[in-house]
Formats: sequence, C-alpha cells, structure tokens
Amino acid sequence: MNKFLIKELSLISFIFIPIIFLWHPNWLGFAGVQPYWPLLWLLPWSMINGSINGLIFGLFLGIILDSLTLDDSFTQIPGLIFCGFLFGRIKLHSDILVGHFRYGLICSFGSFLCGTLYFLQILFRNFSDSNSLMLTTSVKNILAEVFLTGFFAPFICSQLLRMFKFSRRKLQ
Amino acid sequence: MLGIRRISTSRWWHKKKNWLLFAIFLFLVFVRISKGAFYKDFYFFISKPFWPGQFQKEIVLESIDQEYLIKLNLLKKDNIRLRQILFLQESSNDNHISAAVISRKTGSWWRQIILNKGSKDGVEIGNIVIGPGGLLGRVKNTSLFTSSVTLITSPESKLGVWLDRTQINGLLVGLGDDYPSLILYTKDADIKVGDFVSSSPASTLLPPNIPIGIVQSIDETLKSKKTAKISLLAKPQVIDWVQIYKVNI
Repeated sequence: MNKFLIKELSLISFIFIPIIFLWHPNWLGFAGVQPYWPLLWLLPWSMINGSINGLIFGLFLGIILDSLTLDDSFTQIPGLIFCGFLFGRIKLHSDILVGHFRYGLICSFGSFLCGTLYFLQILFRNFSDSNSLMLTTSVKNILAEVFLTGFFAPFICSQLLRMFKFSRRKLQ
Repeated sequence: MLGIRRISTSRWWHKKKNWLLFAIFLFLVFVRISKGAFYKDFYFFISKPFWPGQFQKEIVLESIDQEYLIKLNLLKKDNIRLRQILFLQESSNDNHISAAVISRKTGSWWRQIILNKGSKDGVEIGNIVIGPGGLLGRVKNTSLFTSSVTLITSPESKLGVWLDRTQINGLLVGLGDDYPSLILYTKDADIKVGDFVSSSPASTLLPPNIPIGIVQSIDETLKSKKTAKISLLAKPQVIDWVQIYKVNI
C-alpha cells in the first residue's frame, strides 16, 4: 500500500486539483479570484515528464475542469494544453533560489495565457452584445489570477517537484 | 545658585495644577465648539435602557408585521385571480426544496454554486434558485446528490427581466463580476438609479416578478441602447442556504 502511494504520488495529487478547484477557499483569494490551481500541478509534472506528457495531462486537466464548470461554450483545454507543452521544454535550474522565482514567473505567464485564451472565447461568443462591458472585469480577473498564481507557485511547485522526484527515485 | 533654582520652580508652567486646569479649559472649548455633541451621544447610550415605550414599540412592530402579512396574502390572492383572468403565467409556486451550498465559485470567470440536493431529491435542470433577497441563478446540471447552479453573474447567463417602475423589458447579462449588466434596447428608455429589477413576465426561463436587484449606475454612451449596472439583492458569495423552485412555464 505504502509502495503504491509513493509510486502513484503524482497521480494522487492530480486527483486533488479538481477538489481544490471546487473547494475555492476564499481566504486564499484576492478580489474574489483564486490562483489558477491546475498550472501549479502541471508545471512540475511537465518539467519532469517532458512536453508530450505535459500536453496529455494538460488535456486531461482541461477535460476534468471543463466538466466541473458549467460553461458549455467556453473551454480551458487550449490554454492548459499549450502550457503543458511549453512547461515540458523548461529545464530545471541549478540555483534553488532562482528556480523558486522562475516557478512564479512561469506560472504567472501560463495563467496570463490561459486567462487570455478564455477571455477571447467569451469575447468571440458575445461579439455583438456586450464585449465592451466585459473588458474591465476580464482584465481585473486576469490580473488578479496572474498575481495570485505567481505568488503561490514558488511554494507549491517546488514542494510538488520535490515530491515527484522523490517518487521517481523510489521507483528506480 | 539656590536663589535661581527657587525662581525657576516658581514659574506657573512648572505647576501640574495649572496644566490640569488648562486641559479642562481645552475640553470645555471642545464641548462648546461641538455644541455638546459628545455629551448628547454619551447620554444617548447611558439612558438607552430607561427609555419609555421599548416594550410598547415591540408590540406596535409586531402588529405592523401582522398587518403587512395579511395585506401580502390578500394581494397574492388578487394577483393569482387576475392572472387567471388574463391567462398569464403563475408566479406563486409552493413546490420548493431547501438546499445548502457545498461549493461556491463566485470570483473569476466561473460563477457557480453547487448544492447538496440532486436528482434524487427531485431537482431538475432549469429549476430556479432563490436565496435570501432574490434570484441567484438556474440549475444547469444535476447529479444524483448535487446540483450545479449557474449564477446570474456568470458570463453564460442571459435572462429576460423588466424594470418594475416603467415596465420596460431588458436583458440581464452576467459579465463575470458581481454586478450583471442590464441592456435596454432602446435609447429613450426611462431608467433611474434605484429602479427595482425583477424577472419579466415575458421571460421563457423564469416565473414573473422574482426580485433580482436594483439599478446602481447607468451608462448612456452607447448609440442604440442603454446599459445599467445592477446591484443584486441576493449575495451569492455569502449565502449558505437556498430554495430551489420548480418552474411551470
């Protein structure tokens, strides 16, 4: 049992992303917005397992999260796939401190990318109606999400990275 | 040397008593300038338990409540009767389910709540969800034990509403923030800040006359339409218990 837990540590943590996405702890938020949780898992996963794995799990995450949210017309899949692929091409930094801050920057960029792609879908859908009204709100949402994701990434990504490395080492 | 010291200690500003008097004087000046506000407020608090008619006030308020309740029931009956005469949709519906909010996403793009009652309890897609204050949203999805509600603040939500005062129909569109936007497709629509917004009798999704919100600000910059920000009466970010109503439209 213990061996199984260590072996599947990364996949077990994967299960918790939708839960935390649904939990939506307000005390961790800023202006009602939460960090973009899936990216905090996707970055360490893709860095260890490479672009193709990142892309596949980006797709998986997108499918799960799309099923949890009720928006039929908008999807998170393109952003997550792109981020998964992109994160897989990033190599680990030798300096731990610089590495920490890099996680923050990379996740902020990823969050900006996902937020913008989502916003573009909303704009495209409501092209005739109220796109001008949505602009301010959307920019606020994107910026708050970018800030929060970048803020939490150094803490969470480095811990997850250590966990994934540990489970890999135990496997070998 | 001793003589000099004696002179310096005998100055008026070296005496505590004088400073105390000065402080009292300053306080009195403050009381004078504030026209006794400090005293009046202080008196307000200390005399509160001894005010006359506290008990009587409660009795009067209770009577007023009862009067309003009776009037409300009479108006409801009148409303139903008139609607039946005019063949309009029914607005009263006693078939409701109480549910608790178990997940809440009220920030960012995704604006939804998940309730602890699902298809097992008779919740159906399209049912409306009302919280203390008014409409929260519509059930979009149900599982066996839960139901997911799209809030009216979600960018997915578009509902037919009307202004109670002028009875103009409009479209309530969620923008992804806490204030949905009311779009009136006519430039000379009579709308004022403070106008009450409720569900429209013309809506095919909602029963009529469900309270929704109040006009907070109006934007008249667009050429062919007026838009207004609506402050919702029901606050989804704090509500823990809601009522699910079945819609018979």
